[in-house]
Amino acid sequence: MRRITKIMSTALTVAMASTMLVGCGDTSTGTAAKKGDDGQVTIKLFSNLTDRKNGQGLVEQTIIDEYMKDNPKVKIEVEALDEEAYKTKFKAYSMSGMPDVVSIWGQPAFLDEVVEAGVLAELNPADYSDYKFVEGSLTGYTYDGKLYGLPRNTDIGVFYYNQKMFEDNGWEVPQTYDELLGLADKINEKGIVPVAMDGGDGWPLCVYLADVLFKITGTDYTSTVSNAIKTGDFSAPELKKATELLKATSDANLFQKGYDTQDYGAAMNLFTNGQAAMFYMGSWETSMATNEDIAEDIRTNIRVFTMPTVEGGKAAATDISAWNGGGYAVNANSEVKEEAIKFLNFMYQPDKLSKYGWENGVGLSAQDQSSYMTGNETELQKQIVDILSKSTNLSGTPINDQGTSAFKTSIESEIQSVCNGSKSVDDFLTAIGKACK
Amino acid sequence: MKKLYSNKLVIFSLILPGLLLFIFAILAPICLSIYYGFTNYTGMGTYDMIGLENYKNLLHDEAFAISLRNSLLLAIGFICIQHPIAMIIAAVLDKLGGRAESFFRCVYFIPNVISIAVIAKLWGFIYNPNFGLLNNIVKAFGGKGDINWLDEKNAIWSVLIVLIWHGFGWGMLIYYTGIKNIDPTLYEAASIDGASQSQTFLRVTLPLMKPVIQVNVTMAVISALKQMETVYLLTQGGPGNSTQFAANYLYQQGFTAYRYGYGNAIGVIFIIICLIATVALNKVFEDRDEVRMRKHERDEEKRRNAMRKSVTVKNKLNSIKAVG
Repeated sequence: MRRITKIMSTALTVAMASTMLVGCGDTSTGTAAKKGDDGQVTIKLFSNLTDRKNGQGLVEQTIIDEYMKDNPKVKIEVEALDEEAYKTKFKAYSMSGMPDVVSIWGQPAFLDEVVEAGVLAELNPADYSDYKFVEGSLTGYTYDGKLYGLPRNTDIGVFYYNQKMFEDNGWEVPQTYDELLGLADKINEKGIVPVAMDGGDGWPLCVYLADVLFKITGTDYTSTVSNAIKTGDFSAPELKKATELLKATSDANLFQKGYDTQDYGAAMNLFTNGQAAMFYMGSWETSMATNEDIAEDIRTNIRVFTMPTVEGGKAAATDISAWNGGGYAVNANSEVKEEAIKFLNFMYQPDKLSKYGWENGVGLSAQDQSSYMTGNETELQKQIVDILSKSTNLSGTPINDQGTSAFKTSIESEIQSVCNGSKSVDDFLTAIGKACK
Repeated sequence: MKKLYSNKLVIFSLILPGLLLFIFAILAPICLSIYYGFTNYTGMGTYDMIGLENYKNLLHDEAFAISLRNSLLLAIGFICIQHPIAMIIAAVLDKLGGRAESFFRCVYFIPNVISIAVIAKLWGFIYNPNFGLLNNIVKAFGGKGDINWLDEKNAIWSVLIVLIWHGFGWGMLIYYTGIKNIDPTLYEAASIDGASQSQTFLRVTLPLMKPVIQVNVTMAVISALKQMETVYLLTQGGPGNSTQFAANYLYQQGFTAYRYGYGNAIGVIFIIICLIATVALNKVFEDRDEVRMRKHERDEEKRRNAMRKSVTVKNKLNSIKAVG
């Protein structure tokens, strides 16, 4: 009996020890890639483009495949997650070790915290002098005078509209904001939604608000917003006027019923199914014109106009709401940092991201694309290029992305309350001011 | 074998896996949460200790207050609407018997089998003000059919209905099992005594179901407090913060607003509220007779001890006298 006891005790002790060892785990396999003995290099790319067969994701994948073909010793592994999930995992990675090349957003709401944490590698601006970056596009990626990433797109806030529907009903593209509001009743009468709006997400409403604000303040937009964010005081008359206009727009039923609870897909569907006459979104949706899932008589009739001028506003019709959103950066602690930067630079060679992006109609890149025009572009694409080339001023980062992420979360939720009237304009401005402190 | 089980080392190694799991999966995260709750950690980089700042802010945080109110509403909805219906349906099912019983049991449980993501999308479409099913039904009955079911005023009720509907199957199944476990001879005895259907339900079924009800209600309250997935997928807590729930708010603050420290402070308050709720529920459900009996036993014990003491004192006195 005693022997059995002894044997069993020993067995159980061993079992106990092994569970403890499992707990310790193997810490040597981090996320960042390693250099093999034979000179083989693996670069890990963490991307927010999950669809690898269409649009931007396809462009990214094409460049990766090309690079691996040119450099047989380099292997690039891609991990892709949707934006929300991407940002969450990005944060987890920043604590435990990041992949080598990552997608980032050149906006204070994302970049400030990340750069302060010291996880992004500094890039040399001189390397990119002949990469044809559009003027000012690197500003968002610069922190304390140092460059931490490169922008992929130039985004413009636009109204997509169904030209045929407009012509058939005798509606005109509005030149002033009052004309836009006037359209609301006319279009609603026909049982059609005037503007499809993704209000459930909060950020498109913020982009819209920023667009209206830019029309009021003109080139003072950035200073107005950054001052307000710095002091937490949003009582400036321009901010108040812009918010009141947004509220008036909502009250005039310019957006679909229940827009503040509908998501991106639902809003876009209203437009692409012909149930809405317009759709307010970024220029990245220009690929709608080539999307065969959309009925042909709608797809070929999509055109754009930018936010009309506001009475008493300082901005001209050609001053547009545009900014540089997503881009890429390199992990500061990557073991293959040099190789990763080499790959990053390859992606940004003018005939890569920019050219392929153009050919796939995925909107505008942050680099000069004029030399890739073939004349076979869709009307929509030509129109967008035209808008950008004729623009006199660009707004810069939308209001929600100019502060910390706490501010972003706050304004994106509060803006729904002010639009549907459950919060007054003043309460809204106070509430978002509080989030800045 | 008995000797083996009384070996301290063996006992220790047997409880160790469970203990380790508890320490690393529950206790350590709670301790870390408490620690981070005192910092301004963003989730990345360095951070400072800021004392009770997070908790002070939490006191004035309107969104957090709304999320607690909503959790309370949901808990009340669960207890007052979902559970009575679940119990009645379970009792009816029990009486049904045969094929109908298993058919309806299955039907009522279906919402629980469907993934939450599907449920949220499904109800999103049902509630859609432009082409949703609900508004079309209203139209069919002659209404205007332009109600926005998810606007600031209606949203919380619409969300509650989804949650109550979705969790209904579980509650019903547990009640159903509870009812099935009641000794049928009791019902026979009741019917011999001439008890009516409702009397049998109130006097036999209900009292015997008490432990089941206790478990079910506790689980309902906890699930109301930690509600997250459905709300996150259906409304993301909006419009504004009107359908905000504590767990969703915690996620938003911790992971999208980069206020990891603040998120942890919410987590700590959240744990405390859950604990209080559990203790309070246990108090509510404590068997009064049992309490009285336990108290009686304790008094009895005291009396006996006192008597024993006085007896020994008397004996001692007697022996002293005898010696004297």
